[in-house]
Amino acid sequence: MGEGEHRPVRATDAEVLAGGGDVGRDLAAVRWDETPLGPPADWPQSLRTAVSILLSSRFPMWMAWGPDLTFFCNDAYRRDTLGEKYPWALGRPASVVWAEIWGDIGPRIETVLSSGIATWDEALLLFVERSGYREESYHTFSYSPLRDDEGALVGMLCVVSEETERVIGERRMATLRDLGSDPSAIRTEHEMLAFASAQLGRNRRDLPFTLTYMFDGSDGTDVRLAASTGIADEQPPAAAWPVAALARGESPVVALDGDLPAGDWTEPPTQALLVPLLQQGGTPYGFMVAGLNRYRVLDEGYRGFVELAAGHVAAGIASARNYEAQQRRAEELTELDRAKTAFFSNISHEFRTPLTLIMGPVEELLARNPDEVVRAELDVIHRNGLRLGKLVNTLLDFSRIEAGRMQAHYEPVDLPAATSELASVFRSAVERAGLAFEVDCPPLDRPVHLDRGMWEKVILNLLSNALKFTFTGSVRIAVHPAGDRAVVTVADTGIGVPADEMPRLFERFHRIENARSRSNEGSGIGLALVKELVELHGGTIDATSTVGVGTTFTIRLPFGSEPLAAVNPSSAVSKTADPYVQEALRWLPSSSSSAEEEEPAVPAAQSPARVLVADDNADMRDYLTRLLRSAGHAVQAVADGQEALDEARGQLPDLIVSDVMMPRMDGLELLAALRSDPRTAGTPVLLLSARAGQEASIEGLEAGADDYLVKPFSSAELLARVRANVELARLRNHHARWRTALIDSLQEAFFVCDEDGAVIEINSTFTDILGYGPDGLPYAPVHPWWPDQAADPEGYQLVVDAFALLVDQARGTYTIPVAHRDGHRLWVAAAFNRVEDPDTGRRVIVGTFRDVTAEHYAVQRDNALAALSVHLSQADSLAGALSGVMSSLKELWQATEVYTAVFNGSGPPTLTTTDPSSSWADLAEQRRAAIAQLRDEPLLTPVAERSGGAGIALEHPDGTMVLRVELAENRPFTEQDQTLLALLAGHLGQGLHRIHQIDQQRETALALQRAILGPAQLPAGFAVRYAPATRPLKVGGDWYDTVPLDDGRIGIVVGDCVGHGLQAATVMGQLRSACRALLLQNTDPAQTLAALDRFAAQLPGATCATVFCGVLDPAGGELAYSSAGHPPAVVIHPDGTSDLLDQGRSRPLGVPLSAERPEALYTVPARATLLLYTDGLVERRRRPLTDGIDRVTAAVQEGRATAIEDLAAGLMVRMAPTGGYDDDVALLLYRHPGPLELDFPAEPGRLSPVRSALRGWLARCGIDSTTAQNVLVAAGEACANAIEHGHRHIAGEQIRLRAAATADELRLTITDRGRWKTPQPAANPHRGRGLKLMRALMTEVTVTTGTAGTVVALQARIPR
Amino acid sequence: MSTALTFTTGRHPDGAVILAAIGEIDMSNADAFATALTDARSQAAETPIIVDLTAVEYLDSAGLAALFPHIEQVKLVASPLLAPVLTVAGLADLTTIHNT
Repeated sequence: MGEGEHRPVRATDAEVLAGGGDVGRDLAAVRWDETPLGPPADWPQSLRTAVSILLSSRFPMWMAWGPDLTFFCNDAYRRDTLGEKYPWALGRPASVVWAEIWGDIGPRIETVLSSGIATWDEALLLFVERSGYREESYHTFSYSPLRDDEGALVGMLCVVSEETERVIGERRMATLRDLGSDPSAIRTEHEMLAFASAQLGRNRRDLPFTLTYMFDGSDGTDVRLAASTGIADEQPPAAAWPVAALARGESPVVALDGDLPAGDWTEPPTQALLVPLLQQGGTPYGFMVAGLNRYRVLDEGYRGFVELAAGHVAAGIASARNYEAQQRRAEELTELDRAKTAFFSNISHEFRTPLTLIMGPVEELLARNPDEVVRAELDVIHRNGLRLGKLVNTLLDFSRIEAGRMQAHYEPVDLPAATSELASVFRSAVERAGLAFEVDCPPLDRPVHLDRGMWEKVILNLLSNALKFTFTGSVRIAVHPAGDRAVVTVADTGIGVPADEMPRLFERFHRIENARSRSNEGSGIGLALVKELVELHGGTIDATSTVGVGTTFTIRLPFGSEPLAAVNPSSAVSKTADPYVQEALRWLPSSSSSAEEEEPAVPAAQSPARVLVADDNADMRDYLTRLLRSAGHAVQAVADGQEALDEARGQLPDLIVSDVMMPRMDGLELLAALRSDPRTAGTPVLLLSARAGQEASIEGLEAGADDYLVKPFSSAELLARVRANVELARLRNHHARWRTALIDSLQEAFFVCDEDGAVIEINSTFTDILGYGPDGLPYAPVHPWWPDQAADPEGYQLVVDAFALLVDQARGTYTIPVAHRDGHRLWVAAAFNRVEDPDTGRRVIVGTFRDVTAEHYAVQRDNALAALSVHLSQADSLAGALSGVMSSLKELWQATEVYTAVFNGSGPPTLTTTDPSSSWADLAEQRRAAIAQLRDEPLLTPVAERSGGAGIALEHPDGTMVLRVELAENRPFTEQDQTLLALLAGHLGQGLHRIHQIDQQRETALALQRAILGPAQLPAGFAVRYAPATRPLKVGGDWYDTVPLDDGRIGIVVGDCVGHGLQAATVMGQLRSACRALLLQNTDPAQTLAALDRFAAQLPGATCATVFCGVLDPAGGELAYSSAGHPPAVVIHPDGTSDLLDQGRSRPLGVPLSAERPEALYTVPARATLLLYTDGLVERRRRPLTDGIDRVTAAVQEGRATAIEDLAAGLMVRMAPTGGYDDDVALLLYRHPGPLELDFPAEPGRLSPVRSALRGWLARCGIDSTTAQNVLVAAGEACANAIEHGHRHIAGEQIRLRAAATADELRLTITDRGRWKTPQPAANPHRGRGLKLMRALMTEVTVTTGTAGTVVALQARIPR
Repeated sequence: MSTALTFTTGRHPDGAVILAAIGEIDMSNADAFATALTDARSQAAETPIIVDLTAVEYLDSAGLAALFPHIEQVKLVASPLLAPVLTVAGLADLTTIHNT
């Protein structure tokens, strides 16, 4: 195609740029002849096309063309990106326009122009200067090549979307999210601050540096730097900050200068935002200084981000401080425990003093060579003094070990020498027992570090143990080396230990029941002590055993490093050994022979009797024998119950005096056996027991004993009892004194149950923990400490399950809730073991438990806090968070109901309950009063009620909130519960405040959504539609409004803010309200818009909004209007012709104006349709706006005969692009005049004023007089019929007349509540004529009579 | 309260009795119109009277009902406003339409 011949007709410059809106006009103003492109009329077609595409696009674009890369852009680009550079930038070289980022974009453009390949950059950081400062901004853009008519690359087109908000928003959100993550592992304030600093330090774009200060001291005047990010040494002094203002909770901005850290930027911040770390109900914890990114303004979002970050830190501090307080409390408890141990140790010491004062004098007496009788008595005293001393020492050792205060004096010791020396002490006792004693201790080449005192106890305990359980064979002790350890073995050929008992061999107080032994005496702590002592030496001990074959204990001790020569010669065995040997000797039969062989040396008793004495303690046996013989009784002494039973069966005694605790068969079993055998059933039994107290006596008596004596007893008393009862009294006992003492010394509660689960024995710790003493024994199940089944079914079930375990299993552990006698609730962890008595076959259960309440509640608290945090973090609304938290509280306390009431002002509070059907009014008066009373309590102070409920007041964003937990009847709310409630309430309060901020955004959105729906009641004649582009929020930047003014006129507004979604809606809501208020004040569109300009200038995001503002007189249709850059309103006349209301136009809001805003006047013709809209209705990509206006005009033309509401609906459907509107749409229709609506009483006298009103309306509709008269008569007939037929019996009924016009038709309805009669011309000829008249005068008449009344619909075509 | 309606009675130059109504005639004052017609007829003996409705802005079936009993002895004069109603009522032949 030859150039020139077919060149299109030359267009003028203005035509080339037409259709470009404001930008087009501004482009036209550029002095193109001064640019390389020349005047637009001379531009090649390719450039024109490119410019046209650019200008018509709603998507932000700019392009560069020609040798200078001359700059063009469209309205969207101007709005989103160009800022203040408009319109200066138009027509300038792109390198000038974007000089500050040319380094970034220049090479890209170069690439496009040289290669013809488009570029694509996503969220590229560019520093632009469009708002008077270097601004951090992000752009996703593509540069595509532009070719001229010959196909040469001459320019580029950039399609860009600015993503600054998104990128920065995501960055801030990430920081806030990180701050909120994983607070669970953080315990201390220090850790919390370190964690927060790590998170804050990762965002050095928004927070180039931060400094976190804490207020210290009681009055909070000391300021201490606690943490910082992005800043090392050059910290400004705390004095630089306005501390007083921060302490008051203000958030000042402080200007910075000097060489401060710049974070991720090249230049340091110029200002800092200081935010207090708010503490609920107190002065702030401190404050945070946030150095601000100098490339962003401190807008609401930025400020909000810093405040939220500080809020996270403050919440963290609150929780850390809380934790630390708990921690302190735990330490105090530990301290208390230490004090208790110290006390126990002191008491043991106190025992030793009187013991010393007993033993000293006794030894003194023995040294004076007393006669045989006195010596025997003194020996008894001495031996038992030793025994008591040994027990006290052992207990003392334990308390020392427990307290970690065992004073050990380690020295290198020649182990074989020391050991064999100790063994030699035992030799006589072992040999007297008829056992072989082997000592095999060859010398070792290295010493072992020992505390001699402890080592003695180890060896003596093991030897004494071996002797006790070995009846034939040997006891062997040996030492030999094994690698770096010395091994000591103590082996016996005794009864052995059953395999199932082996694991517990070294357990404290564990005794192998029913084992055959030389004595039943013993505390069960010997081996436990041995183990503790060996371990203190860094050694180990273990045992192997075979039942019936023997037991071997093996001790391994580390060698010392020095040569043996350095070892001190061993010192003599200390006096520690005496009690062990003395005790062992007493187990052996030969030692008691002297007493038995003695002849009675005292006068015979008045009633001598044959007395059988059964006691395993040889001393006691001897003593009783001597005593009774001295009273003239014949005495037979045996060592246990079984022997006593055999003896009694062989030769019935007059009286049996029996100890209760004996090996093989104890006193009670003996009693039971005696009573069950008819031959022995009548034999009186006097039980001797160590157990004191009147109750114990009664127990013994109940068991069937005839009398009962408690050790110690006086000889006179025993003799008196024996004398008074040869067949006498009854007593019995379960326990030896020492066993009780030992059990009572346990830190754990101890109990024994019979096979039915009844508790038959307890210790003092049991009483301390549960409040139930031995006086109440036996405690039959259900035990009184079980939780109440009704009030606490869950706790009850736990105990039931545990009890089943206890009764059915051989051993086990469980943790259960129990109730103290005084009602308070605690948790105990118990371990039990089933034991069988070999003689009776009776099963008993022995258990211990300890109070784990504190631990239980600590776990519960942690779990509850975690659950609460989860609810708070997952909730997306305040109400949702609250109900989630409440249901978890309900679960936590097994509450019947949980209430929260928020007191907001004077009205009734807002009630939320876990039972959704409850309301404030439904609550019992008593409950309401309780809740109201809680409100007046100090915040976060739990109040528990006797009636089984508890509550607390805390701060809710809307006011004081009362949280009340309703427990099942009588369920106690313990102190721990209260602490937990306070803790949870504190967290809840903080959490709610956090969510409230999120919630407020949603509230705003909803409020806007309601606002956008426009006035609740539209004036007559109007129809409106609104469709937001952003679906989920249902809000957008477009709006319509109608404002009834005082003078009867109506303000009508349609506007369009820049952007979509919530942000645009926020601006829209404010503009809309402002416009409404201004209209009410001004009633003048131009003035209103001018005032709105000033408002928009103050409101970020409001500039460039377009608004069409009019004031309509509904009587005459006079419309004054002014447009701020808004598309023109359209008026469609009844005949289908149309007017564009394109006068009174000026720039969009907030854009500087040189002149006043213009105003235009227009009169809406009768039955014309006025259409106001936003560009979303008409604008389509790649099509001029005028196309859209033409299309909507045509649509209204077609629908001008349709009722206005139907027309509005039809327009929205018809104008919608395929796939729906992609921009917000607001639409407002008005047809002039609005419909006439009259309600009047059914009285003939009303007809004339009704006609008058109708006549006036018809005139406003521009109806010709003939048609008007026809309508008047037809309507008059319908009204007359309504009066005459419908209401002749009912005076004062209302008739409604409604009239509306479309372009070519009038529609009237006359409605009454009566029933019309079928016309009866004969009876009433003129009524029939009435209907006939109507039909003759109107195009269409329909009469619908129903039960509710009659409707007459009239239609009249309006002649052209 | 009834609709405003006044009557004047006069004589046509040819001697006929003229009843002129001014206002509106509807069911509220149709009785007054009927009375006025009867009075006018009584003054006119057997000669037709002229009912001048030129100044009547509204006339409906109630007014027509008052006219029908006198239909043989009445001539009507009306403005074009009432013409459609009178035509529909079959009174066009008795009516002279005056463009006032």
